[in-house]
Amino acid sequence: MKKRRVHEGKMGGMGKAFAFCLAGIAAISLTACGGKGSSDKNLVSSKRDSGSVVNLFGPMEKSKPDADNIARTAFDITVGMAEKKHDLTVEYRTYTAENYQEKTYDDVTLDRVRNNMDDLYLLNPDTIQILGSEGKLLDLSQLESAKNLRDVVKTANTVDGKLVAIPQEVVAHGLFLNKDLFDKYKLSLPETPEDFLNCCKVFQENGIKTPVGANRWWLENFVFAQAYADLYNGGNTEAEIEALNSGKAKYSDYMRPGFEFLKKLIDLGYIDARQAYTYEAIEGEGKDFLAQKTPIVMAYWGAANAETAYGKADFELKVTGFPSSRGQMPVVSMTGYGISAEAEHLEDTKKVMNTILSDEALQKYAETNKVISPSKNVEVECIPALKPLNDKMMENVYVLGSNASMKVEQWGNTCLIVRELLNGATVDECMKKFDKLQRASLKKEKN
Amino acid sequence: MGKIRNRGKKNQGIALLFSIILVFCILGTVVFSVAKKISKEMSESAIQNLSASLDLIQGTMEAILTKEAEFQKLLAQEIASMDDPEEFVRSYKRNRTMVKMSLIPSGKTEGISNSGEIFTEEELDFSAGNTADGVSVSRSYLNYLGTWAYTMKCPVLKEGRGIATLYIEYVYDSFDEALPETFYNGKAMLYVMDSQTKRMVLKPKGIGERDAGHLNLEDFYRANNILEKDLQREVSQCVENGKNIMFYHDIRGRSSLNYMWSVNDGSVYLIGYVPIEEIQQEGRTVNQNIFIVVAVMLIAFILCCILYYLNQRQRFKVRKEREREREIHNKQLAEALQAAKIASNSKTTFLSNMSHDIRTPMNAVLGFTTLLSKDAENPAKVREYTKKITASGQHLLSLINDILDVSKIESGKVVLTVEEFTLNDLVSSVDAIIRPMAEARDQEFHVTVTDIKHEYLMGDETRINQILINLLSNAVKYTPEGGNIWFRIIGLKQRSSQYEHIRIEVEDDGYGMTPEYLETIFDAFTRAENSTTNKVQGTGLGMAITKNIVELMGGSIEVSSQVNQGSLFQVELEFRIPDSQAEKQFWKKREIFRILAVDGDGEVCRTIQMLMKDTGVLVDTALTSEEALDLVQKQSGMDETYDMILMEWNSPELDSLELARQVRDACPDGKLVPVVFLAEKDGEEMEDELRRLGNAGMMLKPFFVSALKEKIIEMQTERDGEETWEAVEDNNLTGLHFLAAEDNEINGEILSEMLLAEGASCEIMENGQLAMERFQSAKEGEFDAILMDVQMPVMNGYDATRAIRALEREDAREIPIIAMTANAFAEDEREALAAGMNVHMAKPIDMELLKQIVSQYVERKESV
Repeated sequence: MKKRRVHEGKMGGMGKAFAFCLAGIAAISLTACGGKGSSDKNLVSSKRDSGSVVNLFGPMEKSKPDADNIARTAFDITVGMAEKKHDLTVEYRTYTAENYQEKTYDDVTLDRVRNNMDDLYLLNPDTIQILGSEGKLLDLSQLESAKNLRDVVKTANTVDGKLVAIPQEVVAHGLFLNKDLFDKYKLSLPETPEDFLNCCKVFQENGIKTPVGANRWWLENFVFAQAYADLYNGGNTEAEIEALNSGKAKYSDYMRPGFEFLKKLIDLGYIDARQAYTYEAIEGEGKDFLAQKTPIVMAYWGAANAETAYGKADFELKVTGFPSSRGQMPVVSMTGYGISAEAEHLEDTKKVMNTILSDEALQKYAETNKVISPSKNVEVECIPALKPLNDKMMENVYVLGSNASMKVEQWGNTCLIVRELLNGATVDECMKKFDKLQRASLKKEKN
Repeated sequence: MGKIRNRGKKNQGIALLFSIILVFCILGTVVFSVAKKISKEMSESAIQNLSASLDLIQGTMEAILTKEAEFQKLLAQEIASMDDPEEFVRSYKRNRTMVKMSLIPSGKTEGISNSGEIFTEEELDFSAGNTADGVSVSRSYLNYLGTWAYTMKCPVLKEGRGIATLYIEYVYDSFDEALPETFYNGKAMLYVMDSQTKRMVLKPKGIGERDAGHLNLEDFYRANNILEKDLQREVSQCVENGKNIMFYHDIRGRSSLNYMWSVNDGSVYLIGYVPIEEIQQEGRTVNQNIFIVVAVMLIAFILCCILYYLNQRQRFKVRKEREREREIHNKQLAEALQAAKIASNSKTTFLSNMSHDIRTPMNAVLGFTTLLSKDAENPAKVREYTKKITASGQHLLSLINDILDVSKIESGKVVLTVEEFTLNDLVSSVDAIIRPMAEARDQEFHVTVTDIKHEYLMGDETRINQILINLLSNAVKYTPEGGNIWFRIIGLKQRSSQYEHIRIEVEDDGYGMTPEYLETIFDAFTRAENSTTNKVQGTGLGMAITKNIVELMGGSIEVSSQVNQGSLFQVELEFRIPDSQAEKQFWKKREIFRILAVDGDGEVCRTIQMLMKDTGVLVDTALTSEEALDLVQKQSGMDETYDMILMEWNSPELDSLELARQVRDACPDGKLVPVVFLAEKDGEEMEDELRRLGNAGMMLKPFFVSALKEKIIEMQTERDGEETWEAVEDNNLTGLHFLAAEDNEINGEILSEMLLAEGASCEIMENGQLAMERFQSAKEGEFDAILMDVQMPVMNGYDATRAIRALEREDAREIPIIAMTANAFAEDEREALAAGMNVHMAKPIDMELLKQIVSQYVERKESV
């Protein structure tokens, strides 16, 4: 009897196991064959999403077949946060020029902002300055997220007392160096313009015909580094800017050493001016740099992390500041987000802006993208390649590539004048351009 | 035969398995084919769907273009009728579709536009000859709004003559509203491409990846890894010819269907791709569901098979178990039958033995009774006959006792009476019984006690006694004259501190036993049968009783024996150790704190030390005289003496008396330290020596604390000159008058005669009632005691006792009532005492015992 009970117990356990299996099968079958049952009514309504939309205009990121664009992904994460939080959709409209003859992104941006085509824009420093002074951009200082910004960010993006743009990252430009090649030729990383010229000379002597890979956008960083190293790090910044704005000092005096330096690089063949004039950023010079044909290029901080740029180099990459009399000098410029003053979906756009620039979103952005955050509350560690540049930033040693408090817009104008240098203009001709710009600004000020 | 059947079953199983596998293979093939067919059909259907969707988009876009063209022509007609067409153009406000309107009068290269600036056709390219509803469409360009646009131009005709050309700029963004919001759940990509510039001029909202874009066709190829030149060439040719084309190609690791769909005769192309898995979504879902159904059926089938298998296994197990149980049962039955047969045989043998054994003494009794009647005049003969009759009667009694005992033990009615006892008493009583028996047969009886840690123990002394007597009397019986019998009590390692673990060994060098007999020695009704032992009388129940009692006490008994070599019985028992506080008090009270033990045998010394451990008395031991004297002197040096000397009685190595004197002399102050000698045998010759020595006593080995204590009390009493205990051996019953309740007339007569023979008188009552009434009516002090039978008619002994004790007489509670009954078990004794009787005495009447009891109780009454 006892034994029998034991058997019954066993069967009970087995029975339970089978019952469980059958229940599992039934559940799987029901799940597989179930799904949303159709309505009893013979009517099917079309669900067309008619929720709120915010239109964003930004540069077109060309995708690569086998790589993810981390920078764009980071931005998308923050946009996703805003969409979820405010139950709306952010629609992207993008543009990039096919070639140098086409309208630049900045040109198109100016057209679109002026014609009120979108709500939210990703703006380069020069367009920030131009559109800000035209009053086409909304004052963002009242946004909640603006309160956490570092002072340098606010300074660089304030036009006529209005905070017209806020970046998601502080873009520090630097020299991207192939450390392996520097080591190969026993060269230390250049600190001053003389060091830099020496390095180029050694590379050239060793068969590297064009040691510096350049494009039509970022050569101006050499100029800024040499022009404003003292202005931003000499302790007399405000007075010097005031002197420039009032015409007591000349921009051309500041710019000349940088231009002369660039001219020397061109003349000595360290830069291929013709190529540089037509090359788009990274697309042009990037291939040779990654192929270790050129040991030096220039780019922004995020390019060291992005697989679409230099994030997957086969050599030891080091990012330093540009050479200057005060040593390596990072050049900081800020591409910021601005809202059209007459945006169609103004309130929703402000909400989106507030969310994508909140500390939480910026933390996510900085962690994903490994960049310097504009919020004073967000700190992340940088990758080893960026350490030299980061050390300078932490020491507050840098120059601004764009400063809205300067009456003459720096980033865009200098870029254009450098292009003229590339196109064969002399340094004096270039300096005259600066003088002309300064006169125009003074005149505008007077009026 | 069995093997053939098994092989047949195995083959059947394999065939069944193959059949199942075959069925499943066919089923699988069918399912696979069906799934493939469904997949193919669904795929084709999906491609048709994609084509239809693209056709729809194409149609929509063409309709928009046509409407735009129609509207523009209508506007041209309106303008033609206006007086100031330029004013109309200037006043035009742009909307979402038509963002710019311009007019160039015929014959001029410059005109005006609604933005107010001078307009020329230079920046527009109509060279491709694209038209919509007959209206020329320019190639796409980036307009002043920063968005992709195209311009249509149509002539403004007035009375059949062209007066101007109307240019209207349209933006591609306006198509967005008319295009689908999602395309294949957002997984498909769709661009609008200008076929002249190959630029992507529109990516509709919500379609494709939003985090990346394609600049132009070349970029589309690059970004999607479409690098095959032949393919690119073919695609280019189709685009140039304005044809639709689809091709398969992996996009970002996923197989996709790429398409180029011509709109407006190829002026614009829809370009993009759909991942194959999205196209085959429905087919895949159907297939998945088919596979789920098949999988579920398969699992269900397998489960059923497992269930069936388990059920079969279970049934097989149950069947096997039942068979096993049946086998065990049969075996048990066979064994039981065998046992019953053996038991029956044993009992037959037993009855035969009993018949013989009972008849033998009975024959003697009856025979001698006959002789007695003949030789009644010859006192010598009478004495001899009565002696033999008594012996036969006693044998008959022991026979009956054993039979009753074993039946009682076997029926489980025996209850142990656990009380404190001492091993000393146990050994003494056993020794007192066995030694005379052994001596009578010239056998040497050796008693040793070793390693016992506790002498006072809790147990049923009577039953232990019974075990020992049984074993030892057997040893005496089955050992020839002049043999040896060893009785050993050995202390074993304690399993628990609260229990003393003891092994009792009884060994002899007697006849021994055969291995066959050893197997049945503990069974009832068996007895070693051989020519030698046939001379020995016995019931054959002793060993069965012994084993049962041992097991009742939770112990074990083992035996080993060889014929003519002797036997060894080993009994292991555990006894609880009682509290030893009282023990310590004894020694404290008598100021005995340190004892010197002198014995040539180290084992004895160790036993003494061990047994004295619980008493709190320190024991120093010495093996030689010198050692003993050294110890005494050492103590004296410390101004201390031994409170007692324990010393072995003259051994070859030791002159005990001399040593005792030397030890005493060595003691300070010439103190007469008490000396107790341990002797192997009692000897009268020692008495004088001890008296001369003074303050000395003698006790028998083995050493026991209780024996020592008794000896100390005895010596103390002698020393104090008091008489503490004087056994009054006045067993004379002369002059006593008894009241007896006895229903059996013969028994009553025997009792009466026996008492008369002892000088006492007796009144016999037939039952308890009469006895009680007789006592009630008697004068006070008329009877000295009541002898009460138990089983009687009318009123039994217990009730009569209770009735007597309840009487309102002064002596009713005091008169000794002695149970005199054939109910001889311990519980009978308990019941008798509980009823109010003073003592229990088993029949047949042992006059000596009766005298002892009577004298004890009657005397007590007198003393009270």
